[in-house]
Amino acid sequence: MTTATTEKTAAKIDSGPVRKKKTKKFSPWGVVAWIAALGFFFPVFWMVLTSFKQEGDAATSPPTLFFTPTLDQYDAVFNQGIGPAMLNSVFATGLSTIIVLLLGVPAAFALSLRPVRRTQDALFFFMSTKMLPIVAVILPLYVIVSNVGLLDNIWALVILYTAMNLPIAVWMMRSFFLEVPGELLEAASLDGASLWRSVREVILPLVSPGIAATALICVIFAWNEFFFAVNLTAVNAQTMPVYLVGFIAGEGQYWAVLSAAATMAALPVMLCGWFAQNKLVRGLSFGAIK
Amino acid sequence: MTLTADTEADAGQNAMAERVRKIREAQDLGVSRAEGWRRRGPLLPALIFMIVVTQVPFLFTLYYSTLSWNLVRPGSRQFVGLDNYIAVVNDSQFWSVALNTVILIIGVVLVSAFFGLLLALLLDRAFFGRGVVRTLLITPFLVTPVAAALIWKTTILDPTNGILNWLLSLVGVGPVDWIGQFPLTMVMVELIWQWTPFMMLLILAGLQSMPRDQLEAGQVDGAGAFQLFRELTLPHLRRFIELGVVLGAIYLVNTFDAIYMMTQGGPGIASANLPFYIYQRAFLGFDMGQAAAMGVVVVIFTIVIANFALRLIFKSFSGKEEAA
Amino acid sequence: MASITYKNASCIYEGSDKLAVNSLNLDIQDGEFVVLVGPSGSGKSTALRMLAGLEEIDEGDIEIGGKNMKGVASKDRDIAMVFQNYALYPNKTVAENMGFALKLRGVSEAERRKKVEEAAKLLDLTEFLDRKPAKLSGGQRQRVAMGRAIVREPQVFCMDEPLSNLDAKLRVQTRTEIAALQRRLGTTTVYVTHDQVEAMTMGDRVAVLRFGELQQFASPADLYDKPANAFVAGFIGSPAMNLMTGPLASNGVKVGEDSTLELTREHLSLLHEAGLKEVTIGIRPEHLELSDNGGINVVIDLVEDLGSETYLYTHASPGVQLVARSFSRQPARLADAVALRQKAEGVVHLFHPETGARLN
Repeated sequence: MTTATTEKTAAKIDSGPVRKKKTKKFSPWGVVAWIAALGFFFPVFWMVLTSFKQEGDAATSPPTLFFTPTLDQYDAVFNQGIGPAMLNSVFATGLSTIIVLLLGVPAAFALSLRPVRRTQDALFFFMSTKMLPIVAVILPLYVIVSNVGLLDNIWALVILYTAMNLPIAVWMMRSFFLEVPGELLEAASLDGASLWRSVREVILPLVSPGIAATALICVIFAWNEFFFAVNLTAVNAQTMPVYLVGFIAGEGQYWAVLSAAATMAALPVMLCGWFAQNKLVRGLSFGAIK
Repeated sequence: MTLTADTEADAGQNAMAERVRKIREAQDLGVSRAEGWRRRGPLLPALIFMIVVTQVPFLFTLYYSTLSWNLVRPGSRQFVGLDNYIAVVNDSQFWSVALNTVILIIGVVLVSAFFGLLLALLLDRAFFGRGVVRTLLITPFLVTPVAAALIWKTTILDPTNGILNWLLSLVGVGPVDWIGQFPLTMVMVELIWQWTPFMMLLILAGLQSMPRDQLEAGQVDGAGAFQLFRELTLPHLRRFIELGVVLGAIYLVNTFDAIYMMTQGGPGIASANLPFYIYQRAFLGFDMGQAAAMGVVVVIFTIVIANFALRLIFKSFSGKEEAA
Repeated sequence: MASITYKNASCIYEGSDKLAVNSLNLDIQDGEFVVLVGPSGSGKSTALRMLAGLEEIDEGDIEIGGKNMKGVASKDRDIAMVFQNYALYPNKTVAENMGFALKLRGVSEAERRKKVEEAAKLLDLTEFLDRKPAKLSGGQRQRVAMGRAIVREPQVFCMDEPLSNLDAKLRVQTRTEIAALQRRLGTTTVYVTHDQVEAMTMGDRVAVLRFGELQQFASPADLYDKPANAFVAGFIGSPAMNLMTGPLASNGVKVGEDSTLELTREHLSLLHEAGLKEVTIGIRPEHLELSDNGGINVVIDLVEDLGSETYLYTHASPGVQLVARSFSRQPARLADAVALRQKAEGVVHLFHPETGARLN
């Protein structure tokens, strides 16, 4: 008997590390989850589907499931001036995100790895600005923006989106910086690295996935923003969400072209969100939850 | 002999405390001003930017709220002290809208937290295609709110050709003018659809941070699945749910897009919330003074909720996760 | 290569009013391997970090090679440190990890590669040079951490419990490797551990710390044979020295209910002169043997047969426990009532019953 057991244990040792099998088993709760997912996703699916229909197929009862797809709606949308709106959105979103990173990374660094005595106060302040109802400042902002001559100018949005995203970005990136083990900085400093060198060669590479996720989340919030855009822009600087306003009552039952416009508006951010999925929670909860 | 031993020990402690005090004094002077500013330096640009862009306008709002100022009547700007606030308090429309706001926030937050909890529980187990399911489920949160509102208003809720009414017609329920008859409720439904993923993600993070060996210990002790959930999982999840509710409430105070796109606050002000109402007064009615006063009231209202939020985030979550 | 001197060095705990290290005085020679040992909270890691510049020197001074280190930044002290968790740079390969310090100093790439390869050969890391730390085992990572320190050819090595994350067998093996390496390189080394076996086998001299204060700084042999106080006596050696406090009798010390441990006349007069009515006695397990004609009456609680020797765990009375070593296989059985006596060549240590200081 002893020989049998020693043989078995020998075999176990030789086969290398035991890997857990990923059980792709069929579970009834899995089915429920799938149904829920499809249900939640349905409006989005329907939106994309409708965008490929002819108007005749779009607003019907019962709804049309099978049809010949066409790109006519996207054509129409591009001819109806979605181009400028798209460019405005890209400009406002991209530039504001870059500025957010330029301001936010040093701030997050200061609040995490080299804490100052008033760290909690500063964090508190950043968060409180995010909780300020923007409706309370839209009036003076309107007056100020108009006095400075930036009404209907995309730069107003760039500045406002930066202010809107900076708190979340600082919080998120701070939580990533806090994950860097303090010993790494100590080791680098013993090796002879100045602070700047340590940051560049050791910390930034470690934190860069977090910075990427933060950027994606800033892009999501900036792109989707509507309130500032609708009040401070008119024709020249309108962003995608504002462009969609034109489709409310004016277009009547032209649902197909409306869906195409909506899809164009929503798609970039959906893609960003899908890519940043794993870090989304951190951004949403102010970096509190991983 | 005991007396001398005690006083010796005391003397020893005093000397120690004295040394520590001297060291601390030296430390305070030691961290040079230059070093302090060098550490604060990287923080300053962001800090200054935020103060200028957010606090300064709010000070202006406070100022405007003390003025009687209508953009349509130029030259009529004059200081009226707290008159605007009194008018706001007496404005029955304001209160009705405030009630809408509260109903909206509470309804959306609670229902989406509930559905979020259910979905999070479903997603916590492994099954085929779990990653895809999660991706599908978070999509509503990512869709541009105005686009989503538009799609809901037209393709789903439209009385004649909307999908909802078609589905209901299959079971013989007559066509309903959803947005016309239940404007606030429909806005809430759309918001619940958009916010459930948010709650689900937070609660899922909570579920996944739960130490597994606690559950295993419970199983070995003989607890059934429901008991495990009630006694172990739910208490652990409490602070995540709380965080979701509070953060959701804060984000939802500002909700504007759905109302603008779906109902324009109507009919009348039946589905207007505070931000929308203020927007109407300011940009459609041009009454800056009143709108400013209302804005200040909303801020006070938000500070109350924000207090809970900040306390939760700092207390429960700052630092490392507590030990099992 | 340099000598190290701690002069009344102290350091406060962050945010507390207690001293982590209290007036530490150590004189370390150039090329010496010194071990700082003590239980957790003894301040040994803090003392090491003060040397490396990672903690402030709040009071007193630390000199390396005669130069005062107050105000000198870590990066300018020419010290290499091996951390308990290795602190390897995760995004760099083993070769880059080891060559980082040289790169910062502006050493040419060719020169760097040569030095890294030399160190890698010394530590058996040559096949891992292009891997990243995540793909290495614990033992391999530990060697990379050592390699990173060696490549720099610093004046001092600091090691903060480098073996505590390794499994027992690897620990013993690596222990000898580190000691051999240090002897070969001749660099002054300060090594922190909580394991007294490591301290005894690796150090030229060992400093025992407790609650931030130095208890004794001596060679392992001196620590073992002449502990300066009761704490050191009980800390060094495994199983620990038997320590018991008892009142003096006419011919010795009363132990347990009814037994007396005899003391020599010199010891007795020493104690009388000191005016003591009680004393703390220390006897190592290997200096006790089973007696068949009287001694200390004990009852056997546990017999531990290790194969090469047997340890008898006994008690003379509740609260007075004695451990004795025996070389026979079955010297006694559980619950036997036997007698223990001091071996002829055995040594008795006498300590003050209150301060613990050594008396003889």
